Amino acid sequence: MNTHPYLRAFLAGIFVPALVLPLILTVFIVLRLVLHVPFPIERGIIFPMALVPSLFGLWNMLWLASHGRTHLPIGVHGAVLPIFGAPIGATVASCLGILAVGAHGVTWFQACEVPYALIGVFFLAALAGYYLVWKYIVGFLNRVLGIA
Amino acid sequence: MKKLLQQALPPVKGDAEPDRDLWPAMLERLNAQPDAVALAGCAWFDWALVAGLAALVAFFPASIPVLLYYL
Repeated sequence: MNTHPYLRAFLAGIFVPALVLPLILTVFIVLRLVLHVPFPIERGIIFPMALVPSLFGLWNMLWLASHGRTHLPIGVHGAVLPIFGAPIGATVASCLGILAVGAHGVTWFQACEVPYALIGVFFLAALAGYYLVWKYIVGFLNRVLGIA
Repeated sequence: MKKLLQQALPPVKGDAEPDRDLWPAMLERLNAQPDAVALAGCAWFDWALVAGLAALVAFFPASIPVLLYYL
């Protein structure tokens, strides 16, 4: 199975976001259409639906292209992604009005207040989560698809 | 035609058989479970990360939508 390795890398990369997306859509439907939450939470779906899967797929393609030279473990490679993804996501969220910057912290979805002191902890959590997801899920899929 | 085919496919010289039975090695490779071994060999560091993430979600439930946003 040596054909189209980059296509297989892309498909392996978008696997996790494709699994999480229905969960996000379910939360959206329950909050917005069933509980009639007044906040336009659908704006928060744009980034995880449109950009995150592509980012994961392209990042896995980049790992495949660079692994021969860098020999970077896939978990570490995945943990680097939030360094680029977090600012992009925050910018998109800020532009769409789902992230408000205040004096003491930021407010997500007009409900989740995150003090500035905790943003670093959240970022480290994102690094850890991405590391685990890439090491155990994307890495497994890469082995199954014959590109690792 | 027969002559051309014989020229294109020259006979194998010498003993073409390997000097040992390759099937046991093949069976051993088929029976190996690299994924199970990889999971069993999880570093303590990974378990610490899992515990840290679980603690963060438990103590700061507000992190759940933020983490989902980035997945």
